[in-house]
Amino acid sequence: MSAGLDALKHVVVLMMENRSFDHMLGVLHAEDARINGLTGNESNPDTTNEPVQVQPTAAFQGELDPDPDHHFPAVNKQLFFGTPGPPGVPSMQGFVQSYADQEHNVAHSHKIMYYFAAGKLPVLHTLARSYAVFNGWFASIPGPTVCNRAFAHYGTSFGQASLNIFYVLEPYKSIYERMLAAGHTAKLYYFDPASSTQEVVNLLKNQPQIFATYDQFLEDCKNGNLPDYSFVEPNYSDHPGDDGGELLASDQHPDHDVQAGEVFIASIYNAIRQNPDLWKSTALLVTYDEHGGIYDHVPPPACPPDGFHAPLTDTGGIPFAFDRLGVRVPSILISPWIAKATVVPGPEDPVNGRAFEHASIPATITQHFIGAYDQRTPREKAAPTFLDLLTDTMRPDEDCPSFGLD
Amino acid sequence: MALPPVIRVPRPPRSSYQPQRPLSKNTLLQNQVKHFRELERNLPPEHQTGLDFDSITTEGQAAEYIRRMTKRLHQPQGKA
Repeated sequence: MSAGLDALKHVVVLMMENRSFDHMLGVLHAEDARINGLTGNESNPDTTNEPVQVQPTAAFQGELDPDPDHHFPAVNKQLFFGTPGPPGVPSMQGFVQSYADQEHNVAHSHKIMYYFAAGKLPVLHTLARSYAVFNGWFASIPGPTVCNRAFAHYGTSFGQASLNIFYVLEPYKSIYERMLAAGHTAKLYYFDPASSTQEVVNLLKNQPQIFATYDQFLEDCKNGNLPDYSFVEPNYSDHPGDDGGELLASDQHPDHDVQAGEVFIASIYNAIRQNPDLWKSTALLVTYDEHGGIYDHVPPPACPPDGFHAPLTDTGGIPFAFDRLGVRVPSILISPWIAKATVVPGPEDPVNGRAFEHASIPATITQHFIGAYDQRTPREKAAPTFLDLLTDTMRPDEDCPSFGLD
Repeated sequence: MALPPVIRVPRPPRSSYQPQRPLSKNTLLQNQVKHFRELERNLPPEHQTGLDFDSITTEGQAAEYIRRMTKRLHQPQGKA
């Protein structure tokens, strides 16, 4: 066991919304060729069959309106356009045409290929340069938010490939239930009551004791009361605060302001970073639930099926056995025990590459805190874990950035 | 001892705040409202909000409904 793993007492997962790897981090390939981002030559055909190249012109807001379709049938087109479809290799050629389906506006459909330029995302880019960025972290399902978030909580979506969460929660327990049963502590921090949680039906209704708010998270960090495992949800809506102030959505879901999400990520990082005891004993994973319909160039790989079959009403009639992953998303693991500028190989490296997905979260937490635990889906059992990235060397304070929030 | 590098993070402009944004533009929020609505139907009448769901047409209105329902289901806890 590494010294970093030996020192690890807390894991925090922050899951943002609806942005692809290339959209947020693709530009970093230009400064570090190990990062599997964009060369600038990637393209998709538009509805006039003209190639549309990726461009570093993504805007913080006002660009991806309407919200790009990311339900299963649309994602299937994004992945397999021009091919016979699954189980073949995705072409990644249908993003522009899928977006054009929504408004039939050819010029607007090109924006699905935009990515953020260097310097536009000081928080996410700094964290990716400073800690460990994953070349191969994929959404668990080629579909929307709720079923993907379910994989982070349960290691499965219980057969759902949609936004429906009225499902049967047997026989698998959430990671929070597992942790509490094993004598550990766990919390799901939502932003505030007006933002709430995406786990409304299953966890908030039945286990309100595992929930707390973002303000409580900040207090828990400051006072050294952070649980063993924490899952943090961003603010999902623009709404007034209790003091009458304006609270911006920080989830980065289109068309919410991406800069507000940058501020939120920085606040979570700073809260951990500013407590020295917490900083040396905590690993923070920043990830995104799914790609939100936005372009990425890496074909999602196959994975072991999880024993469920999606209702054909969820998939547009396409059979789906949860045996392939969704589109790649940004993921960064942060700890002073991680070597600077670590790049975790993905499918581009057939020897050392690993395909992480959201089932990797309960798999990792279970492995580290609980140990042997059999009542898990085949998907979760097969999912790679990520705490091996912690080393024997703790980096000095001056080597780990802080964020100044104006 | 050298200080850690500090990266300045700009705040978004005030114009980013759009609680009047139509709820129809955000399927995730729409769905969250739908889930709370289904839960509310199973609550005793005295705990229901009595809200006309057709009146929820903006993000801000959705947030207010979600706030009321979340408080019914959960009072934030302290320590884990």
